[in-house]
Amino acid sequence: MAAPTLDTVLTGLAQDEATGSLRVGKEGTVYYARGRVAYVECAATPGVEELIGASGRISANGMRRARQEAGPGGGGALLVDRGVLSRGELEFCVLSATLDAAFFLLAPRTIRTRFKEGDAHWLGVHWFFDVAGLLRECARRRARLERAWPSAELDARPVTPLRRIPGTHALLTRLQWELLLAADSTATPADLARRLGRPAYSTLLAVRELAAAGLVAAGGMAALPKRAPKPAAPPAPQRAGSGGLPQVNGDAADVNLLLRLRDALEAL
Amino acid sequence: MIGIEDCLSEAMSIPGALGAILVDHTSGMAVAGKGVPDPGRAAAGLSEAYRATLDGIAMASQETGFRIEDVIVTTGTSYHLVRPMEMMFDGPLLLCLRLDVERSNLALARRRLRTITDELVAS
Repeated sequence: MAAPTLDTVLTGLAQDEATGSLRVGKEGTVYYARGRVAYVECAATPGVEELIGASGRISANGMRRARQEAGPGGGGALLVDRGVLSRGELEFCVLSATLDAAFFLLAPRTIRTRFKEGDAHWLGVHWFFDVAGLLRECARRRARLERAWPSAELDARPVTPLRRIPGTHALLTRLQWELLLAADSTATPADLARRLGRPAYSTLLAVRELAAAGLVAAGGMAALPKRAPKPAAPPAPQRAGSGGLPQVNGDAADVNLLLRLRDALEAL
Repeated sequence: MIGIEDCLSEAMSIPGALGAILVDHTSGMAVAGKGVPDPGRAAAGLSEAYRATLDGIAMASQETGFRIEDVIVTTGTSYHLVRPMEMMFDGPLLLCLRLDVERSNLALARRRLRTITDELVAS
C-alpha cells in the first residue's frame, strides 16, 4: 500500500480532533491542539525562540532558564509576565513562525511521520490555524513568490549583490537593506534569515524582489569564476507577462531545410 | 495589555466602525478580521495599497527613513484608516479600519486607533 501523503495525514489528524505533536521526517514538528494547528517548527526556519532572541529582549541563556522554569505549555505566559514581550507580540510571533515553518515543512509530498499523543510545545497555545486554511496560505505564499520573480534559481544559492546597479537610484525596504548589508556572497537566503532573525519566507521574498529589481546577481553569474568569459548580455529577467512577440528559435539552416522539403513535396 | 482578537474588538467599538482587519504586510495575509466579507481579498488589496503608498511617498519626499503614521482614504461613503505597527522582527502588521463617513469622527478614530495599536505592542 502506498504511504499516505502529508496532506492526508494532516487532514486526518484535524478530523480526529487530535492533540499532540506530529514529527515530519527529520525536518520538523506540527503541534495540534484539538484538531487545530497551534505551532509548527522546521529545521530550515528560525523558531519563536530565535525570533525573540534576535530582537535582543532576552538572552539565549534567559530563554533556556524560562523554558526550564515554566510548566508544560506555560512558557509563553511566563515570558509575557516577565515583560519580555506583550501578548499581542507573542501571538504574532507564534503566528509568523508557524506560517514560516509550514511553508517549508508542509510542501505537498509523501514523508514519514510519527504522531505523539498529548505532546505540547513548551510555549503553550497562543494562536490557531485550521489545517485547510494553513495549507491554503502556504499555496498563496508560493504564488506570491512566483509573482515577485518567477524562478527558484536564487532560493538556495549565496546572495551576491551587484557591485554596480543598473540604474541611477534604487528604492529599498528595510529588510532588503539589511539583506544587502549582510550578504557576503557565501550566505544563502536561509543563512541570512537566521543571521538577521527574520522569517525565512520574508527573506526569500526579499531576495526574489531584489533579483526582479536587478540588484543581486542572477542567471548563474554568481557561481562563475571571475575570469570566465562574460555572457554577451545579462540574461533578461523573465518577468511574467512581458508581452513581447513569441520567441523564435529558428535557425536559418532549419528554415532552408523546410523550404527544400516543401518544394520537394510540391514537386511530387 | 491586549491580544490580537481584543485589538480588533476595540477597533470595532470606535463610533462608526463598519469593519476591521489585521493584515501581515510582508505576505499580504489576513491575520484576523471582523465585519469584512472577504478577508483574503481585502488583505491582499490593502497590503498592495499600503505598499504603493510607501513607494510613492518615498519617491515624492526628500526625507530619508520616514515612517508612515497612518494612511487615510476617503470615499463617498466611508473612511479607510490604515495604521502600520512595527513588530519586533517582521512586519509591519497593518490595522485597517473602515468607518461610516456619516457616523464617525475621523480625528477621534485616528486617536483611538493609535491607542489600540500602542497597547497591542506594549509589554
